[in-house]
Amino acid sequence: MKNCDQFRELMGAYALGALDPQERVALEAHLAAGCTDCAKAVEEARWLVSQLAYAAPEAVPSDMLKGRLMQTVRAEAQSHSEAKPRMLPARNVVPIWLWAAVAALLVFSVYSSWNMRRLQNEIREANKRAATLLQERQKTEQQLAAARREAMIMMDPTSVKIALWGEHAHPETLEAKWHSQLGLCVMGEKVPMPAANHVLQVWFIPKAPGSKPMPSMMVRPDADGKLVFVVSNPPEPMDATKSIAITEEPAGGSPWPTSTPLWVGNVT
Amino acid sequence: MFLAAFTSRGPREVSPDATLLSRLLQKDVSAFEQLYDRHSRLVYGLVLRIVQQASTSEEVVQDVFLQLWRNAGQYDSARGPFVPWLCTMARNRALDHLRLKSERQRRREDLPEDLPSAVISPDYEKLLDEKRRAERVRALMASLTPQQKKAIELAYFEGLSHSEIAAALKEPLGTVKSWIRNGLLRLKEGLQATT
Repeated sequence: MKNCDQFRELMGAYALGALDPQERVALEAHLAAGCTDCAKAVEEARWLVSQLAYAAPEAVPSDMLKGRLMQTVRAEAQSHSEAKPRMLPARNVVPIWLWAAVAALLVFSVYSSWNMRRLQNEIREANKRAATLLQERQKTEQQLAAARREAMIMMDPTSVKIALWGEHAHPETLEAKWHSQLGLCVMGEKVPMPAANHVLQVWFIPKAPGSKPMPSMMVRPDADGKLVFVVSNPPEPMDATKSIAITEEPAGGSPWPTSTPLWVGNVT
Repeated sequence: MFLAAFTSRGPREVSPDATLLSRLLQKDVSAFEQLYDRHSRLVYGLVLRIVQQASTSEEVVQDVFLQLWRNAGQYDSARGPFVPWLCTMARNRALDHLRLKSERQRRREDLPEDLPSAVISPDYEKLLDEKRRAERVRALMASLTPQQKKAIELAYFEGLSHSEIAAALKEPLGTVKSWIRNGLLRLKEGLQATT
């Protein structure tokens, strides 16, 4: 291990870069160990060696060298100054066209939102109308089917005609026909409107002795007093039915007659 | 201590170089041009002495000054004067070029670590202009023995090591070490005496 005095002899050569690797490594390890005196000595040696630059003969470089250098430096200085604005906050460099684009996008978004809501309302209304039309169509189809059924029952020669005779207060006669498969169809005009909260209820009276009248459908004439209805599935077959009666019953019907029949007709 | 004798002087004046360098940090082209005008002859002379070829020397000098332009912030004025730092950088560049040419060592990359550390110097540096300082150094070099001068020049201008100088001069290694050591000591004493 060398001491500081031995290293001091190497300082000049170290600053010159003339030490061979082994000595240089040893000296640098010594400096790295924190020897401040040797570190100062190295600084002195470096300064001394730096003075050797003046020992070189002074020479003048060509004007072209300066021209090339200044051209490069000016170009780099210009690009440096041009680069500065790009470092400004973004709010200062947002172009007007971008603001216009943002505004247009905002307006378009608001319009799109409004238009979407309008279209949704229109679709909802259209759906309602479609549902109403569907209901009306179904009702019409049902009415048409009922009318077709009524016509078939009334026109079929196999249907059995039944005259429903009115009582004293209801002198109008109702005409009925019963088809063994299509059911019973009843038609009448100028039929008096039952009292408020009351309906006309149809009863099938079986032939069997002691049998109770079988309740059937409830109807009301229209505003003109016209009454048409079909009992598609009579509670009793035609050959087991003695007669048909119609009474006025409270709305919702009754399990058995609560009033005197307004019309009665025998099944023959 | 030799260095302490100079650093114990009063506060340093602000040198023209320090002012120009502070402007250079702001990418002041005019400051760069003035620095070039002040020091290009010294730097070019040093590089030409090492490289021995004018066109190559200009390439090296161009690299040195462009590095100064691009990495002026790497120079720390608090750690030493500008000219020794610039000359050290130029010498390193020129020696790198020599080594690359001779394929003995790859050239170091053009990065900040290529820059030399600052060279701390005595205060009297500012007391002499470049011309007087050059005259004094040349006079002191001329006062060395031819062997001392040759050995130091081989080390400084050609970047040779002790062993390489001994081989080039066909002299014992110990003798070459003594020439360099004693020659530098004489230079040091001469510079100290002239202050």
